[in-house]
Amino acid sequence: MTGTIIENLSGRKLAVLVTFLLLCQITCFLIGGLIAPTPANTQNILGTVCKDANKVKNDTSKWYYNRGKGSCEIIDLDDMHHDLSETDIVFAFQMPVPRQNQILDFSRWQQNLIGVLQMDIRYHSQMEVRPRSEVTIDARLAYRNKGDPEDSWQLYTQSIEKRHLDCEIEIKTEKYLYNCSAIPLFELGSLFHDFYLLNVRLPVDTPEMNSNIGHIQDMWLTVINQNGGFTKVWVSLKTAFFPCIIAILAWFWRRIYILERKPVLLERMLLSLGIALCVLNMPLEYFTLHFDLPFMLLLGDIRQGIFYAMLFSFWLVFAGEHMLIQNNPTQSSLKQYWKHLSAVAIGCISLFIFDMCERGVQLRNPFYSIWVTDIGTNLALTFIILAGISTGVYFLFLCYMIWQVFINISHKRQSLPTMCSVRRLHYEGIIYRFKFLMLATLLCAALTVIGFILGQVAEGQWKWDENIELEYTSAFFTGVYGMWNIYIFALLILYAPSHKHWPVAENTSDTQNLSEEIEFSRISGERTSSEISSLTSFIRKTTID
Amino acid sequence: MKCLWFLVLTVLCLRCEAAGKPRRGRGSMWWGIAKAGEPNNLSPLSPGILSMDQAVHATLRRKQRRLARENPGVLAAVAKGANMAVAECQHQFKHRRWNCSTRNFLRGKNLFGKIVDRGCRETAFIYAITSAGVTHAVSRACAEGSIESCTCDYSHVERAPHRTRAAAAANVRVWKWGGCSDNIGFGFHFSREFVDTGERGKTLREKMNLHNNEAGRAVLSIPNNHISLCTRLEALVLGNRKIFTVSTPHVIYLPSLNDECPYSMIYDVATCGDDRPTSSRFVTICLIHVQSEMRQECKCHGMSGSCTVKTCWMRLPSFRSVGDALKDRFDGASRVMVPNTDLEAPAQRNDAVPHRVPRRDRYRFQLRPHNPDHKSPGTKDLVYLESSPGFCEKNPRLGIPGTHGRACNDTSIGVDGCDLMCCGRGYRTETMFVVERCNCTFHWCCEVKCKVCRTEKVVHTCL
Repeated sequence: MTGTIIENLSGRKLAVLVTFLLLCQITCFLIGGLIAPTPANTQNILGTVCKDANKVKNDTSKWYYNRGKGSCEIIDLDDMHHDLSETDIVFAFQMPVPRQNQILDFSRWQQNLIGVLQMDIRYHSQMEVRPRSEVTIDARLAYRNKGDPEDSWQLYTQSIEKRHLDCEIEIKTEKYLYNCSAIPLFELGSLFHDFYLLNVRLPVDTPEMNSNIGHIQDMWLTVINQNGGFTKVWVSLKTAFFPCIIAILAWFWRRIYILERKPVLLERMLLSLGIALCVLNMPLEYFTLHFDLPFMLLLGDIRQGIFYAMLFSFWLVFAGEHMLIQNNPTQSSLKQYWKHLSAVAIGCISLFIFDMCERGVQLRNPFYSIWVTDIGTNLALTFIILAGISTGVYFLFLCYMIWQVFINISHKRQSLPTMCSVRRLHYEGIIYRFKFLMLATLLCAALTVIGFILGQVAEGQWKWDENIELEYTSAFFTGVYGMWNIYIFALLILYAPSHKHWPVAENTSDTQNLSEEIEFSRISGERTSSEISSLTSFIRKTTID
Repeated sequence: MKCLWFLVLTVLCLRCEAAGKPRRGRGSMWWGIAKAGEPNNLSPLSPGILSMDQAVHATLRRKQRRLARENPGVLAAVAKGANMAVAECQHQFKHRRWNCSTRNFLRGKNLFGKIVDRGCRETAFIYAITSAGVTHAVSRACAEGSIESCTCDYSHVERAPHRTRAAAAANVRVWKWGGCSDNIGFGFHFSREFVDTGERGKTLREKMNLHNNEAGRAVLSIPNNHISLCTRLEALVLGNRKIFTVSTPHVIYLPSLNDECPYSMIYDVATCGDDRPTSSRFVTICLIHVQSEMRQECKCHGMSGSCTVKTCWMRLPSFRSVGDALKDRFDGASRVMVPNTDLEAPAQRNDAVPHRVPRRDRYRFQLRPHNPDHKSPGTKDLVYLESSPGFCEKNPRLGIPGTHGRACNDTSIGVDGCDLMCCGRGYRTETMFVVERCNCTFHWCCEVKCKVCRTEKVVHTCL
């Protein structure tokens, strides 16, 4: 009969393989830490207050900006112009801002753009900002490309949005500023053009509109974009991993194909996990360099979601397949796990719906946010809590199953001494390796969680030495990404069916052992088609005994 | 050889010029730029835009003029910063005997008057607030994009401006690879270049000015996230407010405890040297080294908007909070004196070419407290050399107008109270009817509706 590779691999070969994978892991971490810059870059842009000289106020072909030909007339909000009305005031944000006497432009490698608005509101005793007052923003986004004339801004998108303004102040004295929370304004899934321009107006169409927002002194826009260097490193990693996973999958599939039996559940799960990793590793980012693909953020979420769903399902099935003793020994199928897997499914589907409501709608209107309306907030929270609950239920299931497996193993271990020495050693080896893999999974999960927490506590750069600067955040991302890739590579390799057969001829010295051997072979031989590893066969055999 | 002669001559000339004007506030004439924008000083050719006109030109030193030329738009920012500083100073001191009055801008005179000639607390504050004002205004201008020469990331770039094509290409590469976001960094370094020009750090007074300029900028410094494992930090034991120095290897970082303490850590007292803060073994301490007025904001943008990816940035504080912080430092300013090691410095004066203090070493000096029992001043403390003159009486020699005619508060026992403000000369009480705007309602953006109220007001003025 055949087992999996992990059972037939000698300790030395296993050690070599594990060392090699660990080296790959360290390389991934160091690539992120030493080569890549921080994942994202922020630019704080102070809004220029422009005077809207146009008679027609809804003209979207007229744009206001403070640099370049056709720049606007700048007004100072500090000295109150009483001849101005709110329709005359435009806050203009031209991005990116110039540096070192050079006009910088966005590169398509910078992938996406997120805008956060911050208002500096001055305290006036007669004009206090009420808590949770609403601000109505007329936001218009334009773009321009290199080589275009400096005044040929094209409308990208426009929207009138409502946002909540959360402001508080400690010292209520004139000229002190409120401490207002940042307002998420827009998210662009693709950074296709070279220059962007945001024009913000605060309209007063009805008497209540924008009436409780106080005296706005300044408006700041913080734009966050992924760093080009980080994208390059990330895409290179993907490009390196993608052929690897394809090759390993092909090899794995060939191994199963030549077995002359149908693949068992665990093998099918492994195969789908590999395919999910393929989908995740596909370097689709290359397309964004030539095409405007605003759905990349959403697609990235979906790809990651599929991968996590497959990984979680695999762990369940993996634990379950090593526990099936009482159940009927027929071909196990996914149906047996429907209770456990429904937790994964519910979690994923609710997160997917949430994502579609947020990032899906943002494809049509980048200024949209589900969090601004009360219904939207409740809806979003419902889905997120649902996802959280199903994750909790899932982990309870998983822990229970793993606990059962370990109980099983320790129980069957007691019957080990009655077996012949060679077989006992062999089974002990299998149990050890099973536990080893369990340990690897736990280690990966623990490292991910610890790395994440460390990143939250001390974000930014870590300096180990005066000369070596480690970009920790990037190192964490590449490290974790590499780790799960390597983990799945290892799973596919170690759990592929082995060519090797049981060393029956080697232990014929003891007749008693031989008889047991034959008996075992007969019993396990009955179910060759349904068993993946001889560990399960061992567990089942002893149950029958 | 010719060049060398020219150099020597120039340097000698500079020395003559310096020797000819024994004014102490030689690095502070640029303050006059605050008033240069006013109608009587502005050339009619360029309304609204500050150009290198004669009035501005006169206030700036040669290096400052070069900096203004190399960074178009920076002069407007400096003028704005100086104005902000003056307004803030007058706000912070409006209830004190010295009320930060400025004189009408006259050529060759200092904006704040002769008080600057004395190395007192008030002078320390003026230096700090103007330095902070320039940093703040230049950072703002960078964020707005009105200064195009702001640097990408100052730490990686040499000070000298690169105008070569290769450097420009490298610049774009830096932006596309790792981004640029360093508004405050440029403001900080520009302020050092511009404000500290006249202070070479040789005399004690120059050291005082340099120290106070640095202290002003330190309020705006970015909290230091790059804590190296070997850095020694100033720390504060929470609770008993004792300041001591620790080194980092034996600490565990904790997140922010409260707003006052952005970075804290558990410190194992057993590992520290002779400077033990308390008797207990582990204490929670606050790293004041990393404290500043800067506020951090964050945004999560990971998978589905979760916090797996979080980006944070620093927000420029309002200048009012900068002024508040500096006023606190003013109240706790330390008096310093000449350290013994610096007494040999005049020996170098006999050299033919004056010894220039290297740029980076200019800031490396330690001032000694006047009272040996006190702690040496930290980088963020204001320092002064001599006690303040009395501001009660008019003193033309020091340019002090006196407190005659100042309004005071008869119920207060503080410095704004009539007893202290009028220096015991007594005060006059008048009841006046004031017509003022009241019950105002504001509407975005520009509409202010007020009622006119006639109120009775009791006004006390010092005799």
